Amino acid sequence: MGKLERRLDTLQTVELAEGMEIHLRIAGPFLRLYAYLLDLVVMIAAVILIWIVIGISSFALGGNVAVGLINLALFVLLWFYPVFFEVSRKGATPGKMVLGLRVVNEAGGTLTFGASMVRNFVRIVEMIFPFLPLFSFLNPRFQRLGDLAAGSLVVYTRDRQDPVYLGPPALDSIPVNVALTREERAAIISFRHRSGNWSEARRAELGNHLNSLTGQAGSKGVATIVGMAHWLEDHS
Amino acid sequence: MNRQEFEQRKSAEWSNLDLRIKGLEGRGPAVEPEKIPGMFRRVCHDLALAQYRMYGSLICDRLNSLSIRGYRLIHRSKGGFGECSIQFVFNTFPNSLRREWKLFVVSSLVFWIPFFLMWWSASQEIAWVQAILGPEMMMQVEGMYGKDADTVEYLRGEHGANFQMFTHYIKNNVGIDFKLFAGGILYGIGTLFFLVFNGLYIGAVFGYVDYAGDPEKLLTFVAGHSSFELLGMIVVGMAGLKVGFALLAPGRLSRAQSLTQAGRYALPLLIGGALMTGLAAVVEGFWSAQAISGNVKYGVGIFFWVLHLVYFLFVGRGQRGA
Repeated sequence: MGKLERRLDTLQTVELAEGMEIHLRIAGPFLRLYAYLLDLVVMIAAVILIWIVIGISSFALGGNVAVGLINLALFVLLWFYPVFFEVSRKGATPGKMVLGLRVVNEAGGTLTFGASMVRNFVRIVEMIFPFLPLFSFLNPRFQRLGDLAAGSLVVYTRDRQDPVYLGPPALDSIPVNVALTREERAAIISFRHRSGNWSEARRAELGNHLNSLTGQAGSKGVATIVGMAHWLEDHS
Repeated sequence: MNRQEFEQRKSAEWSNLDLRIKGLEGRGPAVEPEKIPGMFRRVCHDLALAQYRMYGSLICDRLNSLSIRGYRLIHRSKGGFGECSIQFVFNTFPNSLRREWKLFVVSSLVFWIPFFLMWWSASQEIAWVQAILGPEMMMQVEGMYGKDADTVEYLRGEHGANFQMFTHYIKNNVGIDFKLFAGGILYGIGTLFFLVFNGLYIGAVFGYVDYAGDPEKLLTFVAGHSSFELLGMIVVGMAGLKVGFALLAPGRLSRAQSLTQAGRYALPLLIGGALMTGLAAVVEGFWSAQAISGNVKYGVGIFFWVLHLVYFLFVGRGQRGA
């Protein structure tokens, strides 16, 4: 487990034993609240269903046995509904599945049964004191108390759809004569990859920040940057 | 090598791994898994390279999600359920009990002191007991353990009553266990509250039966399951206190880190204690209310207490690395 960067970003970097870093996209409190409300609806529906099914079968089973079955079913449902889903292959309750979320441990793997128990049992306290979940706003990884105790995170499962709109093709390849850092090179290349989404004026506005490099302003500057990006992509 | 070349050269293998992982995730045709670890490692390497060279989000995101999925598959630690259970019962649980023996003392005292105080208070002044139980519970206690109550008949006359009571105990008592644990997150106050409250309440029942009922009936009823139930509660109390102390005195860790660590240590106590309470429900539901002579019931009760003592002290000793 590597140290997590503290920056204003929902991307959390985790270093794995395989010698690489992965980025987990942490889900925020609002989405998780929606997921919780969805799960609440599912649970209420399940309770009603249990009552109906066992209620009907009570004619065959006898009243005491039916009450017993309802006891057991409610116990399992109330305490283990989230646990059961979180340790499954999907790693998410139906509410979270719908919203494309997943509960993982700090290395991005599936939770163990025990960790999921800890995570969800603490919720009973958070229901008694409803202000407690608000503390997840103070946590850079939006962990609520249960998450902290279990060492779990809620992340997006879907890939980030970063739009790539290639800008106008480069007319020529312009060599860069200045030593650039990796970040600067990447910034210039991604300018080209995203500029297709911007208006002409916006392109020029952003391009003007690179005045010192291109020595030109406006659309001419933009063309130079695109050309430089072309050159950088060929030479990196 | 520039970005396009990199992508062209590796793309086929990435898609290949993606297909295989999909197969194992159950979202595609079945595949043989032998090659996956090697491919996974290569993809990890590619990801590190792509990130370092800043090949842009298109490639990095693709490799990132591929690596996460591969990691999940490879590090899915699924020992067999049977093996895990045996390991837990004969090693993990008793060893973590002994490691946290101080908490066991604290948790026990927090329960037993109010219990005996309340029980004793009935012989001095019954008002405390009455205040805690309330009229309804007093009636119920008299019905079950009164001087001329028929304990067995009162509890279990009808068909299916044993099963119903068993499930009732599961839902109630194991539920209380879980709350007992969760209360630890409030700096241990919730756990302490439930432990003290249970001590007072159970002590009050004993005191009231002494005062108004037939103690013999109560004792024969509870003898069988008492060890499981009370020790189970105390053990779960330990789990809650572990979490509470971790927040109160995190030592050199941050509170969040300390909480995560305590969660790991508290877990076997929570599961073990809840299992003990579950066993108590089985005994209480199906055995405690049988019409069996008092001496046999006392005998079984003492046997279980000794069994717990032996289990707590000796089982799994010398085995390390739980």
